Amino acid sequence: MTPLLSATQTAARRTLPLALCLAAAGCSGPQSALDPAGREAETVAHLFFVMTIGGAVIWLAVIALAVYAGGFKQRTLSEETGQRLILWGGAVVPTLILAALLAYALWLMPDLRPWTREAMAEGGVKGHVTAEQYWWRVRMEGPGGPVESANELIVPVGQRVDLTLTSPDVIHSFWIPALAGKIDMIPGRTNRITLRADRPGVYRGVCAEFCGESHALMAFTVRAVPPQEHAALAAAEARPAAVTSGEGLRLFLEKGCAACHAIRGTEARGGVGPDLTHVGSRPTIAAATLPNDQASRERFLRNPDAVKPGVRMPGYDMLPPAEIETLARFLGDLK
Amino acid sequence: MILTVRRAVLAVLALAAAGMLFAWSGLFNVAASTGHWPITNWFLHWVMQNSVRTYALATVETPPPLDDPALLPAAAGHYAQGCAWCHAAPGEPQSQIAEAMTPPPPALHEWLAHVDWTDKELHRIVEHGVKYSGMPAWPSLKRPDEVWAMVAFLDRLPDMDEATYRTLAYGEAGTTPVSGDAAFDRALGDCARCHGTDGAGRSDRIPVIGGQKPVYLAASLRAYAAGERASGFMQGAVADLSVETLDRLAEHYASQTPARPQPALDANPGEVERGRVIAEAGVPIDGVPACLSCHGEGRPRDVHFPRLDGQHRDYLARQLSLFREGERGGSPYARLMTAAVHELKDEDLEAVAAYFASRGGALAAR
Repeated sequence: MTPLLSATQTAARRTLPLALCLAAAGCSGPQSALDPAGREAETVAHLFFVMTIGGAVIWLAVIALAVYAGGFKQRTLSEETGQRLILWGGAVVPTLILAALLAYALWLMPDLRPWTREAMAEGGVKGHVTAEQYWWRVRMEGPGGPVESANELIVPVGQRVDLTLTSPDVIHSFWIPALAGKIDMIPGRTNRITLRADRPGVYRGVCAEFCGESHALMAFTVRAVPPQEHAALAAAEARPAAVTSGEGLRLFLEKGCAACHAIRGTEARGGVGPDLTHVGSRPTIAAATLPNDQASRERFLRNPDAVKPGVRMPGYDMLPPAEIETLARFLGDLK
Repeated sequence: MILTVRRAVLAVLALAAAGMLFAWSGLFNVAASTGHWPITNWFLHWVMQNSVRTYALATVETPPPLDDPALLPAAAGHYAQGCAWCHAAPGEPQSQIAEAMTPPPPALHEWLAHVDWTDKELHRIVEHGVKYSGMPAWPSLKRPDEVWAMVAFLDRLPDMDEATYRTLAYGEAGTTPVSGDAAFDRALGDCARCHGTDGAGRSDRIPVIGGQKPVYLAASLRAYAAGERASGFMQGAVADLSVETLDRLAEHYASQTPARPQPALDANPGEVERGRVIAEAGVPIDGVPACLSCHGEGRPRDVHFPRLDGQHRDYLARQLSLFREGERGGSPYARLMTAAVHELKDEDLEAVAAYFASRGGALAAR
């Protein structure tokens, strides 16, 4: 063995664990179906591993047979043996294996898609999510009626959440890889999904069906919190806005923002765009495209199309910078 | 001599070289004073007529009804300003300078009676002009509706007497105030030909601008002057006015209280009611916000958002349609409207226009 080869091998031996760690790290995080944090995602991950391992075993068996037949097999089979081999190896065994996998997958279905009336009537948090180009309208049921928000889902850990899903424009798809999904959101049709987060944390949901120019910029955040905290957050979400007067609100009403956006507790009642009552408390803006800080809010107000091509909101770069700054600060104060 | 490929190519090259030599020599006389040979004249007109006929068939849409007298004043005013100098008008001879052009522009009120252009062919000529003749295109290719108004005017021109023409083009006997600023007085006189001095507008196609917000009017005039709002009528009218004059005109009209008769509303109550619902609540399913969020009266609203109460229905419908197609232009605030009405349906557009036209308010008849 030459020293050079030896050095290469040593390097490989040293870097391989690191590479494997990096690859495995790619499987965890706020948006990974392989790092499930909820019952549904866990079921899906389980199904994935069973299918993958089953598939790998079958593949290995087939390859082994091929190698055996091509390289080591010397004598010919009798016609009778050949026919038996085709019957068992080609029809019976695959049918049994596929039937078993299918049965397993079907057995998981009721947990993932509770389509019966009884299942829907069970307790739990209920809500309605509408996917619109390119954001999420979220309307959660509360004790005082539905509460509208956008691009953020707050769910209690350990409790079931039932969501009805629709779209007014094109087909989108609802997917929170770490928790549940995906299922299409189809104009003129209401789909349902349930999910239960088992681990507190912040997760990321995405649109999983190409829906237009900014499809890749259509995401939302999911905050899974303990039930008591959830009750407090839901109550806070239901309250009117924190700021109901001042220069920022005056600009918001005067410049036409209120035509499309609502801020509960003020004159702003537009229903076309996202509800902004508590926009300041959300971790992101523009459907999880930008962090929710002053600079990003100003940037989005000035030229939303540069951030999200095809977005319906018109740019306000004709306003003086001071007014943009005031508006952005006002939105940030809507905690 | 035998014709070979080689000889044919050489002959073509030699002809081309001879042609280039002739062109280079300057012996061809481009003087307008000599006119065309009859055969050249015939050939050029033949080509022009064929082209207009073919392109009118292929590119011009079916005309809207052209017998509406409301189409005429703006077209007549534009004709007086932009066309009569070359094409003459009842009681106004051609300029002698224009007569010396090659080809000489026809005096339309006499000539149109002897030619048989269809309305679509006239539209093609007015909108796109004619190469090598001096006939210009319409200042904006985004406003075929304005060109139809001009065609409606041209249809009536042969039978028009001098008095009718003068009234249409210049308005009733002038009551232009004298402000001491000659440029402003002259500009206001020009505006008044279509808009009247009080901004009431001389037909249902001309917007009521008396009592409109001054910042909106000034921004609109500047947008016309900069070519950012599409209108052949208005772009031509404001092209050579100074910014100061534009701002004074905006202030003048904003301060007016237009006197105009109550328009005969043909809108049905159901349509007006539908318009009211849209104005107050929008069409959420189509992403259309409530009009009154920005155009409502009595709340803090931006100085760039125009008043609409009592505006002419036809004008509103046309502007909404232009906004929807993204071709209206205007000040930078115009993009808000394009976003707002992008998905507005035809019948909703008409209903909204009918609703605002039916409203009392700053612009309304009194």
